Amino acid sequence: MELQIGKFYVKDVVFGETLSFRDGVLTINKTEALAFLRQDPHITDCDIVIAKPGEKKRIVPIKEAAEARVRLDGQCLFPGVTGELHRCGEGRIHALKNMSILGVGKHWGSFGDGLVDMWGEGQKYTLFGQLINVCLVIDTDEEFERYEQQKKNHAIRMAVHRFAEFLGASVKSLEPEEITSYVMGPMRLRPPEVEALPSVVLVMQPQSQMEEMGYNDLVYGWDLNHFVPTYMHPNEILDGALISGSFMPSSSKWSTYDFQNFAHIKALYQEHGKTLNFLGVILSNLNVSMEQKERSALFVAKLAKSLGADGALVTEEGYGNPDADYILCLRALEDEGIKTVGVSNECTGRDGASQPLVTLDTKADALVSTGNVSQMIELEPADEVIGELAALGRDGLSGGWADDDILGPSVRADGSIIMENNAMFCGDGISGWSVKTMKEF
Amino acid sequence: MKKVLHYINQFFAGIGGEDQADHKPELREGVVGPGLALNTLLQHGQVTHTLICGDNYMSSNTEQAVQEILELIKDIDFDLLIAGPAFQAGRYGVACGTIGKAILQHRQIPVLTSMHCENPGVEMFREFFPIFKGGNGAAKMKADLKSLAAYADKIFTGEKLLSAEEEGYFGRGIRHQVWLDPPVTASTRGVEMLIKKLNGQPYQTELVIPQKDLVPIAQPIADLSQAKIALLTTGGIVPVDNPDHIQSASATRWGRYRIDQMERLKSGEFKTIHAGFDPAAADEDPNRILPLDVMQAFLHEGKIGALHPYFYSTVGTGTTQREASRMGHEIYEHLAEDKVDGALLVAT
Repeated sequence: MELQIGKFYVKDVVFGETLSFRDGVLTINKTEALAFLRQDPHITDCDIVIAKPGEKKRIVPIKEAAEARVRLDGQCLFPGVTGELHRCGEGRIHALKNMSILGVGKHWGSFGDGLVDMWGEGQKYTLFGQLINVCLVIDTDEEFERYEQQKKNHAIRMAVHRFAEFLGASVKSLEPEEITSYVMGPMRLRPPEVEALPSVVLVMQPQSQMEEMGYNDLVYGWDLNHFVPTYMHPNEILDGALISGSFMPSSSKWSTYDFQNFAHIKALYQEHGKTLNFLGVILSNLNVSMEQKERSALFVAKLAKSLGADGALVTEEGYGNPDADYILCLRALEDEGIKTVGVSNECTGRDGASQPLVTLDTKADALVSTGNVSQMIELEPADEVIGELAALGRDGLSGGWADDDILGPSVRADGSIIMENNAMFCGDGISGWSVKTMKEF
Repeated sequence: MKKVLHYINQFFAGIGGEDQADHKPELREGVVGPGLALNTLLQHGQVTHTLICGDNYMSSNTEQAVQEILELIKDIDFDLLIAGPAFQAGRYGVACGTIGKAILQHRQIPVLTSMHCENPGVEMFREFFPIFKGGNGAAKMKADLKSLAAYADKIFTGEKLLSAEEEGYFGRGIRHQVWLDPPVTASTRGVEMLIKKLNGQPYQTELVIPQKDLVPIAQPIADLSQAKIALLTTGGIVPVDNPDHIQSASATRWGRYRIDQMERLKSGEFKTIHAGFDPAAADEDPNRILPLDVMQAFLHEGKIGALHPYFYSTVGTGTTQREASRMGHEIYEHLAEDKVDGALLVAT
């Protein structure tokens, strides 16, 4: 299977006459774009705001991110979500790089929503501080969840996915600056020099904790709560097979942008044929009941063993309850004689003294740590807030609070904020891009 | 210039050896013994006072010695306590730790000390403040003072404090996130670690999983009708005025409350102070978390032999394993004293 990603590096995004891409500048006709977004009757209010690295802008509450792309064969980007089902991972797509589309609540936040700062101290906390962000600032008629802490955020998230296709159309017939090919044939009968290398699978545990449908990550439009682990070609993940959900505290989240650019897949491709034989992805999940956790670990270990894996890289979208799945899976693989490395964040508390993962096992003897969800962060006021700053303290975002005896409110009168890393949008980069680690003091 | 209080024992104060180990706490202005060298090493602080105490006096009259020392220093201002270095001297190390912990708790002033890895003071006190990895004897005095002075200066100037390993002290079990310099992504680190592990090469995990401290599951009680049962909860049930000031999260305190004259806990007399769940149901009927009503019924029916006259309560949410373990040991003393056969611990 070969996936070609033609890359267009975006240097600036401006509003203008026609949707177009020229010399690194993406031009958007705002009226046309807003009319497109408002085709969804659930969207009651909508604006598009551009945020560039270095600008003193703060974006909150962010629900979703995606990379703008187009398939040259005319099929949809996210099968089962933005269009009919078809198999991803093959053929050519064009992508607008260095930028993302963010779905932002005009007013209302929820538990899994996050924050991005585009400048100064706050910028380093998330990759999205370094990208040009096209922010869709949206209000909806989803009254049933208006005052709920857990929101499906369906209309805003779907707007991001649809808009990724809308902007991607600008580069459909252009010649990309660069093409990256991801090529991986069947697992059997690979060249002997590749077969001689240790073979490795990537085990992904995307979020699926909500029993009610509409909150979890989707695979080809299918809710991962109703799922047992299966094999995926890595190209499918890079090409829109997975859609992010609306549940996990933000710093632990994998947005759709993260799936499209899944860093662990890219790193394993990098080594494929050189130091290891990359077999592909075992897609698992993170359901809450113990039996479901055990069943998934059992399926993962069975698949890995049957595929002949010598090693596995295991990574979880979350912390807390999902740590049980993460450790179970690492242990199940080690028990089969498969050597594992795990990648996750930690929750050591504001003072750093708590147990880092909910469950521990000495068999998990090779772990990469990408951050502490409960690290306290204080940031100066922004010149401009995209969305609504009050949401951070008011709406139950995992890293914000209305008031606190000692710390005061998360959102202060002067616009400065104090929060836990939990609410930094995808801030712990568990999907592989984190340059943070954890150290003992 | 910041002010440093320096703690040393009778030996390093030049008072004497073992024959003077009962020397009572004493406060002197200025430097004594190793403080002289410490002052030449410190760039942004100076030792203004020296506390001296005999090792024996501290180990055999600990509480009294601590009280006397806190009294001696109650009117002096200082920004940092440096204790020792204590090298491999066990009683001296424990004394440095004891006084450091007391000053940290009562004065909220940072504390530094230095000990050899085999000094028992390391394991007893490493969680409370940085204990620098020191030499095994006074020949290493200069090197150990240098580490302490360098770190003290960093505190005084607000310079970024690095991890325990980079700074050279015994880790306190506190983990914080740091940015790697130069930056290396988690995916690169993960794949490199996996390649090394697959090839049998050495690698360093970023999170060391400690060996488990598992408590074996107790044998069943042979005859429940003869057994004395105690009631415990981590659900935060307390008398409504929370007399022991147990915290609503990350608890460090517990309380015990008499129940032998009650058939059940009454709403309005007891409530929960646990911040990790909606308290409405527990406040409406505290027996939902601490089932005294059911236990009294069992007692009347003869299902259990006796009920321990107190219940014990703390809050589980955010409470560290260390604090939980300490509280568990403290509560156990009371249960053992009353010869309790079994305990029902209700978690939430």
